[in-house]
Amino acid sequence: MNNRHLLSAAISSLLALGLTTSTASAADKKMDMEKCFGVAKAGKNDCSSSKSAHSCAGQGTKNNDPADFVAVPKGTCEKLANGTLESK
Amino acid sequence: MILPATDTLPCTAGIGLRATHYREVLESLPRLGWVEVHNENFFGGGAPLNTLLKVREHYPVSLHGVGMGLASSAPLDSAHLSALQRLCAVVQPAAVSEHLCWNTASGMVINDLLPFPYTHQALSHVANRVDQVQEKLGRQLLVENLSSYLSFAHSEMTEGEFLAELTSRSGCGILFDVENLYVNVRNLGVDAMAFIKAMPAEAVKEYHLAGYSIREGCLVDTHDHPVYPEVWQLYEQVLSHLGARPTLIEWDADIPELTVLMGEAAKAQQRMEHIHGYAE
Amino acid sequence: MATLNDELADFARAIVLRTALSPQINLSYPNYSAEVAIEVYRNNYRGNLHDTLAGAYPVVEQLVGNDFFRLLTHKYIEQQLSANANLHHYGAEMASFIATFEPARELIYLSDVAALEWACHCAYFAEDADSIDLARLAQIPPEQYENLHLYLHPACQLIPSKYPIADIWHAHQPGADSEFHIDLHKGSCNALVSRKENVVCVSELPVAAAEWLLSIQAGIALGAATDAVLESHPDFDLQSLLIKLLHLGMLVDGDRGE
Repeated sequence: MNNRHLLSAAISSLLALGLTTSTASAADKKMDMEKCFGVAKAGKNDCSSSKSAHSCAGQGTKNNDPADFVAVPKGTCEKLANGTLESK
Repeated sequence: MILPATDTLPCTAGIGLRATHYREVLESLPRLGWVEVHNENFFGGGAPLNTLLKVREHYPVSLHGVGMGLASSAPLDSAHLSALQRLCAVVQPAAVSEHLCWNTASGMVINDLLPFPYTHQALSHVANRVDQVQEKLGRQLLVENLSSYLSFAHSEMTEGEFLAELTSRSGCGILFDVENLYVNVRNLGVDAMAFIKAMPAEAVKEYHLAGYSIREGCLVDTHDHPVYPEVWQLYEQVLSHLGARPTLIEWDADIPELTVLMGEAAKAQQRMEHIHGYAE
Repeated sequence: MATLNDELADFARAIVLRTALSPQINLSYPNYSAEVAIEVYRNNYRGNLHDTLAGAYPVVEQLVGNDFFRLLTHKYIEQQLSANANLHHYGAEMASFIATFEPARELIYLSDVAALEWACHCAYFAEDADSIDLARLAQIPPEQYENLHLYLHPACQLIPSKYPIADIWHAHQPGADSEFHIDLHKGSCNALVSRKENVVCVSELPVAAAEWLLSIQAGIALGAATDAVLESHPDFDLQSLLIKLLHLGMLVDGDRGE
């Protein structure tokens, strides 16, 4: 059966990867295409934990009531092509 | 994993270890007496706990909680307590501490350290909860005095008297935050010497030092500055009355380079070593 | 005499709901008024929750800018009271909140970006799991492969979107080129969140692979999951997918102490 062949080919390639380091490093190179960020790369920004860390300190900056702010996003969203429903 | 055994903190200066410095500490393994971390950051396990365990291979670790709410009126959060128990089992900390405060009432959780009236009613309540925590963990809990911005009109004793009585009822230890005391001296008019004298010296197991900031006349415990001269001075008084204890430099916002923290720790260390030079 | 419970509840309401201070609290202090002090507590409450959200949603914050993010978190905090002393649980509803947040209506992708960030946040704290035991897999006769159950790492999550949220996420990571060009309508995206050791990764899966992954996550056997995908996607490349998942550390041991 066709699918069964596909399964055994796929699993065999997994097993081969586990057994030969050369295959693994070739595949690792391919993995460089995938971008990964986190503790290892970010350094100063320990993934999600840096700011969300529990602390026993009080708040230094005053969190002003922003109710009067003009509610217009002004971040990198401006760089996204076709970024809003409205055409600019 | 076999970890170096430490059941008490060394009587040296340590630093609060925050995410900003994990990597540098693990790569350079600087000379630090010990480190303290906030429990709740490691409750989920996963990546943060893996990092802490690597740190633990090299340094004694003190686990410092910010979320137990020892004085909250709701029953102790059993999930929180179990998470702490699991954390203690893997980290094998040299000390475990919490704050003398509350954080939950009527279903509202306030993720902060809040003061309460120092009444006999509250004393029985808190002592009972400290018992529960110590029983669950199978070890002594250190309880820390608080920085406060408001006080209750009908308190029946001072915070210092409350803590002293709490240790004798529950057998808990005291984490004496010198900066918190200084904040309360300035904010609430607390008598610093009376507080120091109320402390049972043998129950005091650790000191904290940090910097505060001032908002509209109110000292806020922000941990975002070096230790101020006034606080160093108070620390010297504390040392001469109660003796040297493991002392932590806490810095939680605008965290500087590791070397700055280590410099602050060295200043504390120096004062501990010259303890007999301070007049009582 | 008021009970401790009543006193604390009054204090909590003064902080969270901004009600007046109860008369049990001293009104006079040496250097400031009680109103200044209760504002410090209110500010701590809001600020701690704001910082928690900023920690979990750094890409959303960069996309909308600091002021708008403050407005967003302010409204979120008003609506979602904190329910846990562990702040890492706070912020789970952000994606659905953004979807109904009128000022962000034009940012049609923002809710999906928030969903992806929450998945990353959860992946960071997810339990560890042992990698799949390839030696044991090698013992299984090929004719039994179709009945095999594969297990994925607890950090593994798929976030589908009509927008290129994986590209958007990568463009906002520390060290990324700030001069990015992303066409929002380049097509749908199946963002895959994973964690290898302590590093959270975001990658993308083709539609067929995404369908397969969801079947495997639902506990369907390898043969049935693969057959179902092949029916609609005859060119489904199982081999590449398995290798990719292995390298992401997402294939784990089934017997993980349950």
